[in-house]
Amino acid sequence: MEIPGGEQQTPAVVAVQGLVRTYGPKVVLNKLHLRIRKGEFVALLGESGCGKTTLLRVLAGLDPIQGGTIQTSGTLAVVFQEHRLLPWENLWRNVSLGLRCGPAKEKAAKALEEVGLGDRLDDWPRNLSGGQAQRVAIARALVQEPALLLLDEPFASLDALTRIKMHKLLLSLIAAHKPGVLLVTHDVLESIVLADRILIMRDGCIVKEYVVNDYADKRTVQVDVFEALGFAGGGSPY
Amino acid sequence: MKKFLFSAPLKERTLFLLSWASPVIIVFLWETYCRFGLIGPEILPPPSTVLLAAITLTKNGALLPDLGVSLTRAATGWCIGASIGFLLGLIVGFSSIAKAVLDRSIQMLRAVPFLALLPLVIVWFGVGEGQKIFLVALGVSFPVYINTTLGIRQLDPKLLEMGSTQRLTTYETIRRIIFPGALPSILMGVRYSLATAWLALVIAETIGASAGIGFLALDAREFLQTDVIVLTIVIYAVIGVCADAVARFLERRLLAWHPNYAPKGC
Ligand SMILES: Nc1ncnc2c1ncn2[C@@H]1O[C@H](COP(=O)(O)OP(=O)(O)O)[C@@H](O)[C@H]1O
Ligand SMILES: [Mg+2]
Repeated sequence: MEIPGGEQQTPAVVAVQGLVRTYGPKVVLNKLHLRIRKGEFVALLGESGCGKTTLLRVLAGLDPIQGGTIQTSGTLAVVFQEHRLLPWENLWRNVSLGLRCGPAKEKAAKALEEVGLGDRLDDWPRNLSGGQAQRVAIARALVQEPALLLLDEPFASLDALTRIKMHKLLLSLIAAHKPGVLLVTHDVLESIVLADRILIMRDGCIVKEYVVNDYADKRTVQVDVFEALGFAGGGSPY
Repeated sequence: MKKFLFSAPLKERTLFLLSWASPVIIVFLWETYCRFGLIGPEILPPPSTVLLAAITLTKNGALLPDLGVSLTRAATGWCIGASIGFLLGLIVGFSSIAKAVLDRSIQMLRAVPFLALLPLVIVWFGVGEGQKIFLVALGVSFPVYINTTLGIRQLDPKLLEMGSTQRLTTYETIRRIIFPGALPSILMGVRYSLATAWLALVIAETIGASAGIGFLALDAREFLQTDVIVLTIVIYAVIGVCADAVARFLERRLLAWHPNYAPKGC
């Protein structure tokens, strides 16, 4: 099988081959192949329960695997659907969590500045809105200077307007830090706005991929992606 | 807007004053009832007489040394009991093997009202300092143990996962996630344990002592000095309240992040 995105000349930040993950008799990841190049933004779409979170957890080293190989190069950082901030630490301490070299506070302050919360260094997480908390979580991930950033539906619980602002913010942060990104989402438009490449997952495998720049008109990607997700014809379920 | 800003602290102060009003009224009624002879002095002396007894005993140097002895016993017993409870709680909270080995036995021991062990403790230690400190330590260790294991077990596993994706070392995980996460529960155990420490001490000192507040009470009983007996009760109460205040203070200081303990308007 051809490895999706397998343009071998650019170095990969993660290369996954024949990945198998099972829960008891249930095979969730079934010989999955995946390769993300340096600085590439990949979105992963698929219906609920198809194994997207499982893939991300396995890549993050949170869950064991039952087969296949995962090769990563460089650091890895994760933003979950919930912000997962420590309620007992102020914002800059939260962001500096895991920073070991260099002046932690300055780095954290700079990262918070970047996500527009530079004036809230000493504030508690409980005083933040959902969008602000998620921005802190993104700052905490980026301050690690990851080669691969894993995002599991990070904007799913935000309202539509906040989500659009977060898209813009994320794009500018990615442009500045240039990590490889794997974004799990169920929002087709989000994936088109953000990603270079869109992967469709089904039955524990990646079944299709779309390179957004191959399309002159982004609306046609939408048609194709919706079709791959099972909404044939209309281009959109609406 | 301005009115609102000023009315908030004022309301709080009113409530504070109100909360002190009922104890003051009770003491006042107590005093008047005694003065008018509705309660005989051999049943309950008036507060003023109790105060007088406190002053006399302080002046002739009988009160403070005994108070010191009692506080030392409570503090020693508490430190020993709390350390044991906390360490066992940590071990059992962290290790499922330790939990399997230790937890059931500890829970069974806990089911015994620790005061029921009193005769046995007297057989082991006599009625000296050992018996008192042991009893306090025993009473203290259970609430601290239970709340420490509970705090660790109730930690949000999502935060631990986050810690592992941020590549925290074991030490960093304990210091920045596990300990602060378990702290509200641990402090609740501490607060509870201060109350049991005090209870254990009162019982232990009433069994037999040659110094301490309990000794003072026993001595007074011999001579039917109700004012001194009431004084010792008041002292036990005041120290109990102080211990609770210390625990509350710790909670407010250490749990400033916690919505339940947050200073108002923050
Ligand atoms: N801890 C678990 N135990 C058993 N089955 C699980 C567990 N976690 C996930 N699964 C199963 O794995 C499948 C994929 O789940 P998940 O990766 O969360 O899907 P999604 O694509 O919606 O993120 C689901 O069918 C789910 O039932
Ligand atoms: Mg999911």
